[in-house]
This record gives sequence, structure tokens and C-alpha cells, in this order.
Amino acid sequence: MTYPSVYPTGVTIYNPEKCWNGYTVFQAEDVGALVIDMNGAEVQLWKGLYGFPNKLLPGGYVLGHTGERNPMYGMQDNLDLVQVDWEGNIVWRFNQYEYIEDPGEKPQWMARQHHDYQREGNPVGYYVPGMEPRVDGGNTLILCHKNLKNPKISDKLLLDDTIIEVTWQGDIVWEWICSDHFDEYGFSEEAKNILCRDPNMRPNGGGMGDWMHTNSMSVLGPNKWYDAGDERFHPNNIIWDGRETNIIAIIDKKTGKLTWKLGPDYNSSKELKALGWIIGQHHAHMIPRGLPGEGNILVFDNGGWAGYGAPNPGSPKGIKSALRDYSRVLEIDPITLKIVWQYTPAEAGYMMPFDSNRFYSPFISSAQRLPNGNTLITEGSGGRIIEVTPDHELVWEYISPYWGKAIKLNMVYRAYRAPYSWIPQLDPPEEIPIERIDVTTFRVPGAAPIGRKKETRVEGVLPPYTPPPEYAALCVAADV
Amino acid sequence: MNNVIFTIPGCARCKIVKDFMHEHATPFEEKNVREGGKEDFQHFYTANRRAIYRGQDGIEFPVFTDGVVIRQGLGPVLAYLYGGKRLDGFVSVGTLHKEWVDGLHVSGGNIEDADDFIAMLHYLKSKAMKLKLDTNGKNSHLLNRILDEGLADFVVMDVLGPRRLYSHILGENIALADLERTISIVPRFPEYRFQTTIVRVRREGDLTPAFLTPEDIAETAELIEEITGSKKHPYFIRFLPSTLEPGKSQDADSILPNAIFSYRTAARVHQVLTEIEKI
Repeated sequence: MTYPSVYPTGVTIYNPEKCWNGYTVFQAEDVGALVIDMNGAEVQLWKGLYGFPNKLLPGGYVLGHTGERNPMYGMQDNLDLVQVDWEGNIVWRFNQYEYIEDPGEKPQWMARQHHDYQREGNPVGYYVPGMEPRVDGGNTLILCHKNLKNPKISDKLLLDDTIIEVTWQGDIVWEWICSDHFDEYGFSEEAKNILCRDPNMRPNGGGMGDWMHTNSMSVLGPNKWYDAGDERFHPNNIIWDGRETNIIAIIDKKTGKLTWKLGPDYNSSKELKALGWIIGQHHAHMIPRGLPGEGNILVFDNGGWAGYGAPNPGSPKGIKSALRDYSRVLEIDPITLKIVWQYTPAEAGYMMPFDSNRFYSPFISSAQRLPNGNTLITEGSGGRIIEVTPDHELVWEYISPYWGKAIKLNMVYRAYRAPYSWIPQLDPPEEIPIERIDVTTFRVPGAAPIGRKKETRVEGVLPPYTPPPEYAALCVAADV
Repeated sequence: MNNVIFTIPGCARCKIVKDFMHEHATPFEEKNVREGGKEDFQHFYTANRRAIYRGQDGIEFPVFTDGVVIRQGLGPVLAYLYGGKRLDGFVSVGTLHKEWVDGLHVSGGNIEDADDFIAMLHYLKSKAMKLKLDTNGKNSHLLNRILDEGLADFVVMDVLGPRRLYSHILGENIALADLERTISIVPRFPEYRFQTTIVRVRREGDLTPAFLTPEDIAETAELIEEITGSKKHPYFIRFLPSTLEPGKSQDADSILPNAIFSYRTAARVHQVLTEIEKI
């Protein structure tokens, strides 16, 4: 998050030997669905195609949306979910979830999709050996919006999250409504109090409470926990997370009831205290079978500001009551709740807490486990996509060069890496290593090179101490 | 026989009934159950427990008795005072609170008693109450009169099914012209909704009744479209808990929870605002 005024964009670090090489797709601000190779060459742009997110499918297909609902009346509603071929032809579309008549707009059916979807055949929407998503049939799970009132939560109009399953023909065959399960989430009275008064009201459409703000949804798929007899992790069950509540939950596909959850209160047990507060998280999913870490929960724990609770100095009303100014990528054992692997500012090499906010995206972002054990991380707010090894080595870095006009950010909601074989229209590209530039000597044109024209010794000046970090005499103590 | 009315303090609905009795010089004794009448009501309740409805919010007041008949709630008490048992089909215990009164059934009573029903509605409106009425298609002329005289704020129409099954579901013959006229009137009220509850119906030639199907619901939605010329009415498909029994996929007597969406999809071809309602 701490950026200088001038810095390079595109690929800045690349070690082909240690990377899981492939194509990366992401929604480039104001541009469309963009595919880049490992050197950052832009090999395909589906111009203007929206992506919340974009996902590649085998055969050179991409999933996205043809438009957004006018934000004067809706909040992050996409008109549809479409599958587009390499040449830009729409080969599948779903939009018939709700018929919308907004003032001054053409009445139309809308999917009201947001944040996520999953095509049958693959539980998480990214490459998993032996679990290819279907491209010519199969059902699709879609995360959608629905406006409703639920007096248990608030008397205000809510922007609720729903998950629907639609067939290839477009028939809805399953629906789950988030607010129906309010009693299962375990909110404290303090949280219910502020939720009732302010369920995260947004001005769109005259005001609606985006109370949960679910931002990911995926299927568990086959896993070792279910194989061992733990019914909570039935392969058909669905995991999702809610940014505004700090909840990560698994629901039973048959009954809709919660079978497992983290949050909303991370002080409620010894295990959760050890895990620490997960705040405003994104892209919580179970690492699918066939990938290193399978069965564990991988999540981008944003930090930032989220949750409902007691008023405190950082949250005078108790909304967005938990705060942290850096992010973490966590891999969690869902049984013990212990952290199996993590990438935090410390693993990134930043001194904590002084430099923690150099790994920080307070919104959007994601993490994808790759077949060689590396993790592709989208540090979204700054448009940074990185690949790190299990021992935290940074082996690929890309900074999006696309800043939005209305939203002046080069943000990337979520990037996905796909194998070269998923785009048979292209020959695999050349992989050219990019050494990490030594920033102490790197200069822009016109800037003077490093090096003193004159050095003068001062008699009596002592050499500095080099104590362990915990003894560093800075204004605040170091986390060690 | 003595008229007794059991009330609670601050009960606006009790006051409306008392006003009516005063205005009509009907003698009565008031017993406030939170004050002096508490013990009397306990005795009365113990002796007549089965005749007094206790809902989620407790007992609805006023409770009225003339020593023979017991009536409870604003609508039923007022209806009894207007017409004795003759209005029973038009009025039952409601569920709404504050300024709203429901339990008012346009199709439920004898049309010959409609004048008393209308008079009662006028009285409720004169007391600034909002009225929610329901109809199943019968008595369209009465519904039209209610519309003309501005007596309903919200009308719910139970469109029981498609034309060919309507009388089977209703359990009596209905003139289709009456049904269609009702459908055409309903959207003219300030607020309204159409709804169909998924029930079992015995079709001609079938030995056992079977649930309404998505095709039946599509036909029902089409009926509404055909009569009103619009696809954009609030239309709800209602499922009773006993209709949906998860896990009994082989049970022909239940509808699988996921199957309810095929009803909505079918209906939305003709009514795009169709929603599902589990009751």
C-alpha cells in the first residue's frame, strides 16, 4: 500500500524455474478481460467484457458479464453471466433471476450476479489436475443479490446474498438465501444491535443494507475430511465468506444449514484467539484434492475494517469494528483451526509493524494454490499479483498498468493462473527470466546515480548498534 | 344475557368495539384483564380455553361474549355485533396489528348478507383502520363494490389454479366469469397480490389427488396475464411445510425442495415478478 509516485508496471520479477508457468487472467480496469503470459505480454483481451471475476475455461473460453446494473439503483449487480469463446462469441448466458424495471432503464431480466460463480466439474474455478470445468454443459452455481426485508436483522431494506444453481438450459434448480440462516451465525447482542441500526447501509437504490457482503462461493469437492467420515465436509457442500461480518462458513447443500464456520467473534475460543481476527476476508475456499495443501482452507485475510460489535475508539458506532492495517494469506486446517502456512508482511520480508502495510489490500484480493505448491496472490487494491513459493520466495510479480477513470485505482479484483493447455489457440510463449532490479541503484532518467562526491569523517562519532529487532530503539516496539 | 367485553389498557381495537356499542346503545360490562377483571378473565379463559385463540403474540383483545357466543378480535366482534353469526363467513380472527385489520373474506360469506359486511367495513374505515381483504374469485360484484366505495387498502387473491381445475380445488362450482372478473378487479386496489398455494387436487380420471404441477402453475400465471393483459403483477407461489419434506425423494406425496424452483421458472414465463413463499 505504500507506493512511491513513480514505479514500474507490468512484470517486475520472474523466475521461470520456480514458477508454475501459465496464463494469468484478470479484469483490467476500464479495459476488459485480459490474459497475460508470464512476461506480461497481453495475449488476449476480450474488450469491455466485465469480470467479477473473469475465469478461464479449457478451450480458450472466458466467463464474464456483458454489463452492470446502473449503480443508482443496484449495488454490484451484473446483468448476466456469459461464457465467451476465443473469438468473442457468447456460447452460454444466464440472466433470468429477477425481472428489473429501474427508472429510465430498459426493463430486463438480470442475474444480479456478484463476486463469484462455479461451473460444474471443478469446485473452485481454477486449475486442478483432473477436475476440468465443463465447457459445453453442466450446472453453474452463481452468487447473486436479492432485496428483501428480514425483521430479525433490521427493519431496513437488505441487499441479501443468494446462491443459485442453474442448468445449462438456464433453469434455476436450487436456491439458498443468506438471511434465512441469521440465527446460525452466532452474532453477539452487541453485533445484533448495530446490525439492526445500520446493516451496512449503501445509498444505491434509495438505500439498502449490504449486511453480509458475501464475496466468494465455491464447492468443497472430494476431500480427506469427508472420506474420514466428517459429514460437515460433504463434497457437495458450499463454502463462502462474508466481508462485512468476518464469517467464513460451510453450508449443507441439502438442508442449507451451516455445518462449519469461523467468526464472527474470534475471541470466543482458545483456537480462534490463536488464529487471530480474520477481517474483511476474501476468496475463502477449500484447496481442492490434487493440489498441495488439499483440504485446508485458503483465504486472503485483508485486514482493513469489518465486522459488527461493540463500539470502540476505531469504530464509534460498532460497525466495521475490527481493524488491522495489513493483510495475511492464511492456509488453515479446518479441524484444528491451526495455521498451516501463511504469507504475511513478515514472510514478505517487511519489518512488523513498522512496514506491515506494504503487504496490505483492505478490499478485494485472492489466493490460488498452484500445482507445484506455489500460491498466486492478488493483492488487489494496488493491482499487484504475485507468486510465492511455499518458503515465501517471491518468484513472479506483476503490477497492473490499468487505472480506472471513475475509480482511480489500478485494482485487480481477482486473478487466476491457468495452464497453457487451456488456450490451445496459442503456442506456449517464450519464458524470459526477469532478475529483480536492485532499487538502491535504479534511477529514472535525469536522476543522479548513487555515490557520494565527498565523504567526511567526524572525529568521535561512534558506530551504530545493531541489536536484535526486539531491542530496536524505535518509537514503537517491533513484532518479533 | 349480559354482554361482557374483556379488554386491556391502551387497546385501540377494544375502544373501537366499545364506541360501536355505545353508539348503538348496546349495554355491556367491560372487564379490564390487567386490572379488576383479571380474575374474571382467568375463570372465563379456563372455562372456554378452546374457544379463545392464542397466537404468537398472546391473546388478541377484545374478547366478547354475550353468554352464549364468544368472539375475539376487532373484526369478528364487530361482525357479530352487526349481523350475529350471519357474517361469520366474511370475517375471522386476523393476524395483523396496529392499524391493519385482516381476516376479511370477500368470497367467504353469503352474498345476501353483503350489506352488513359492507357496513362493517365502512365503520372500520371511519376509525382510520387499514383493511386487508382476501378473495378466491367468488363474489366479484361484492369486490367491485368494495373497490368503488374505497373500503380495501390491500387485496390478496388466491388464484387457486388453472380454469380447468378451479372448481375441483375450491370444492364447489364457480362461474368462470365471476373468477375472471375478480382477477380483473384486483389490480385496481391500492395494494394487491395474486397467490397460489400448491395443494393436492383430484383430476378427472385420477383415483388419488396429486399436487399442482409447474405446468398447472404456468397455466394459472397465464390466466392472470390473459385477463389483466400484464405480466408484471406480484404473484406468489406458496408451499406449505407439509408439502416439502426433505429427504423423501421417493415419496410421491411430497415435493422435493429443489423442485419448487421449476414452479417459479414456469410461472415467470407469464408473470415475471413471481416469487416463492414458504408458509
